[in-house]
Amino acid sequence: MKNSAEKPSSIVVAAFPALGRYVSKGGWLCFLAGFVGALFLGWYVFPKLLYSSQPQPFNFSHKVHLEEADDPEDVESCLNCHAFRDDGTFVGIPRLDKCKECHEDPESPLGDSDDEATFLTNYMAEKKEVPWLSYSRQPDCVYFSHAAHVKMGEIECKTCHGPHGGSEVLPLYRENRISGYPIGIWGERISGLKTNTWDRMKMDDCAECHTEKGHEENNACFVCHK
Amino acid sequence: MGVTRRNFVKFAIGGVAGLHLTPLPYKLMDDIAIWTQNWPWVPVPPEGEFLSVKSVCGLCPGGCGIQVRKVDERAVKIEGRTDYPVNPGGICPSGMGGLQLLYDRDLRHTGPMKRVGPRGSGDFMEITWDEAIKTVAERIASLRKNAKTEALVSVDGNSKGSTLSLMIERLTKAAGSPNYVRMPSLEDTYEMGNLLMMGNNGPMAYDLENSDYVLSFGSGLLEGWGGPGRIMNAWAVLREKASKGGATVVQIESRASNTASKSDKWIAARPGTDAALALGIAHVIIRDNLYDQQFVSNYTSGFEKFKTMVLGQYSPEKIVDITGVGKEAIKAMADGFARAKAPVAIYGKGKGTLNGSLFEFMSVQALNALKGNINKPGGIIISDPLPLATLPAISPDGVAERGILTPRFDQAGTNKYPFAVSLINNLIDVINHSDKSPVDTLLVFSANPAFTLPDSGEVNRALKKIPFIVSFSPFRDETSFMADLVLPDHSYLEKTDDIVRPNGLQYQLYGLTRPVVKPVYNTRSAGDTIINIAKAVDTKTASSFPWKDYESVLKIRAKGLFDSGGGLVRYKGAEPAWKWKTASDGPDYKSFGDMWKKIKTDGLWYRKLMPSAIDSGIFKTASNRFEFFISQLELAVKDYPTAAPGGNRLKELGITVEGDAAFMPHYEGNHHHDEQLPLTMAPYEMVNLASGWAPSPPFAYKTIFDDQLLGSDSFAIINPGTASEFRIKQGDYIIIQSKACAVKARASLSHGAMPGVVYMPLGFGHTAYDEFIREKGVNPNLLIPPGKDPLSGHPVWWTTPVKIMKG
Repeated sequence: MKNSAEKPSSIVVAAFPALGRYVSKGGWLCFLAGFVGALFLGWYVFPKLLYSSQPQPFNFSHKVHLEEADDPEDVESCLNCHAFRDDGTFVGIPRLDKCKECHEDPESPLGDSDDEATFLTNYMAEKKEVPWLSYSRQPDCVYFSHAAHVKMGEIECKTCHGPHGGSEVLPLYRENRISGYPIGIWGERISGLKTNTWDRMKMDDCAECHTEKGHEENNACFVCHK
Repeated sequence: MGVTRRNFVKFAIGGVAGLHLTPLPYKLMDDIAIWTQNWPWVPVPPEGEFLSVKSVCGLCPGGCGIQVRKVDERAVKIEGRTDYPVNPGGICPSGMGGLQLLYDRDLRHTGPMKRVGPRGSGDFMEITWDEAIKTVAERIASLRKNAKTEALVSVDGNSKGSTLSLMIERLTKAAGSPNYVRMPSLEDTYEMGNLLMMGNNGPMAYDLENSDYVLSFGSGLLEGWGGPGRIMNAWAVLREKASKGGATVVQIESRASNTASKSDKWIAARPGTDAALALGIAHVIIRDNLYDQQFVSNYTSGFEKFKTMVLGQYSPEKIVDITGVGKEAIKAMADGFARAKAPVAIYGKGKGTLNGSLFEFMSVQALNALKGNINKPGGIIISDPLPLATLPAISPDGVAERGILTPRFDQAGTNKYPFAVSLINNLIDVINHSDKSPVDTLLVFSANPAFTLPDSGEVNRALKKIPFIVSFSPFRDETSFMADLVLPDHSYLEKTDDIVRPNGLQYQLYGLTRPVVKPVYNTRSAGDTIINIAKAVDTKTASSFPWKDYESVLKIRAKGLFDSGGGLVRYKGAEPAWKWKTASDGPDYKSFGDMWKKIKTDGLWYRKLMPSAIDSGIFKTASNRFEFFISQLELAVKDYPTAAPGGNRLKELGITVEGDAAFMPHYEGNHHHDEQLPLTMAPYEMVNLASGWAPSPPFAYKTIFDDQLLGSDSFAIINPGTASEFRIKQGDYIIIQSKACAVKARASLSHGAMPGVVYMPLGFGHTAYDEFIREKGVNPNLLIPPGKDPLSGHPVWWTTPVKIMKG
């Protein structure tokens, strides 16, 4: 009895007599084990299980392709390849035709990396589109116009896509096993918290920016969900 | 401490409490919500580059400009083009659903096939193109070897004058057969009527947009008449004018159709009495001296005889009895029509694709002549055919020469049917009345006679008797199910083909479809297949087809447009193409090469209307005038011997009236009166249901109301008064019986129906295609018995005596 007074359970009983019947020997440890286990599961195991990883067909260095650009993060630099079509629609990931402009001749490759060799022999020579995996693919129910944001809104590419003009290696592509969308939409952090504007691409992030820029009217449902 | 039940519960509670402090439940909820949007059966557009390709619709001869939205190679949407003169931005429901007719493999033949099941079953086995072409070529070669080339018959549903039509006719003739048979159409009625009255069988159109009084004899302007894309636009132009008091549309139709309900005036005349009503209106116009006396005296002949007949036999009192239209209404129409600046009386029932009664058309045309509104803004426009280059003549050998001179099976152009060019109903009769079919090999192009012709049962009986049928249809239609061999054509979205002068368009226009997508299935353009077959038959037949491919034939013909000078290949839209020009346009191209390049991308060449003097020779009759009294008909009666000595030549032509009236537009009367069949079945057409050769896209069936089609039952519309005589209530099953057949449908009661008339929609009752089209409702063509329109010999569609009973 003497020792029991030091047990946490006795303190609880002392403080909340009504809880006495729930407190038993070793009870707190079990609760704690479950609690900590759940935290571990939710914060560490769950994100590992939720996302699958897939390699891109081969590595692509933005840095190499933007070597001659003054500012690799400048909108104009990006637009060289991630261009707008004549009708204002956005190309997204460039297609083979674009690559061809510089890589046309498979006999005289411009560089000598293994990745480039893969590209030239497996895709360019075969006239096959590279099956790039997109890091920013939004659900089909979302209407999004790059022209409205980049041209009219004068938003920089990196605001949403992050600065990757100087990157040498493509990040690992990770896809949500349930929704099928890339990790970049929810964000790398499972908490959903962000430090940079480009950390997340969920609806709330769109709305946050609209509000900040004084375009609250664009938070109406029908603007994006047509 | 040990694992007790109590400790386990604590562990679990700890776990649950902990989980709520992790993102797991919230994230899962979000992901599951998104997962539900991505079930594999939820249709989503493919990913890829968005493209937009301009072309021209080829589903009907309306010739609407279309813009096809593509994601990479996949076409995802068809829209109307705003940079095309025919249909500024508009498109009909079938045109919108055209992608289903491109991709749906249940609707299309996916490659060359030979039949393995019984006829009509639709069981085919895929074969190679080489084998398919060889089989047809050998069949034709063997007819040529045995000097039986006339047993080769082609049935063609393409527009008259289209390059594909010329190729089909050419193949038939080059092989040595005179039996090139066209499907009946309203164009035939126009052509024969205009040839008789004006000596001119050039394309005819109504300048609706510029008219201020449209007197429509049953034309379903809002039911898909003419080119729906153009007519919807013309209707908007007319309505806008009407809102300022500047235009009137009068619809003469026994049923409250969409057109009737939206017109300024709806006149419900009894079905089949339009000729009498037109002549009744003519009576008032002549009696009150409201006609254009200058035109009538300068440019017409036989007016006195016409006047005597109309004043004597078509008094409003008499017309009231025949048509059921009141005297005041007749007078009001006569006044309205005659006092308008640019009135036009238009003819062509329903969608304006099926032929009508020749005398009825001529009676309506007489009204136009009384006002002299021929080749004037807002009137009827008779023009020259498109100046396309002609192809070199065929070079038949002895076998072919013999064959071509044998009489046609359908007797078109003989003294029995002197004015008809093709009579497929006669061809069917001939086959059904012979022990052995005189037709050995039947080639069917862009036509579905087993479904679209009257008395479909007889058509099928004839098809069954023909030893060998080859279908070139891209669609799994009823006629192709009867075929032994299918050499499927591309869909209109996969090939280059011309549209020569869209139906009813008043100005000259040449449209060119282009391959919007790569061929989805193993099909080939019918034009190319014809060239390949000819080359495989023998060298003599091949010599009439010296071209590499069909596109080079199209190009050769289009050169004629260039040589004619002028014309425009780009449409800006600021100035509608139907506005008449005072000076000639264009050209907006530099050379033929430049013109052809532009036509291939924009699919367009057109020339606006220019005023021309009437006396520039549009009337090419014997009198060089518009003839109220038709001299050519008089000649046909006088000059040709009767079939039997002493027979009545007029009766042989199907004309029952006597005296001068027989040679003038007149009302033939109702000869179908039969006490056993007291009601009249009148078929009608709907804008959202295709009733011709090409099927409706299954999407369109979703737009059909529950009182038009419910499950597999279609509805016949009956007036509640008539229904109560037969104790029929809304939705009851009824049997509708004619001389030809009895069918089952359900009753839909409506005050918009004339008492005594049963209205049935055309387009239902397919037995081929897929589950969304097959066995949906009943085809009214089954009920229509074989009948012949007087003088023309064409089928009679619009009034069938029937009886009904509860089913």
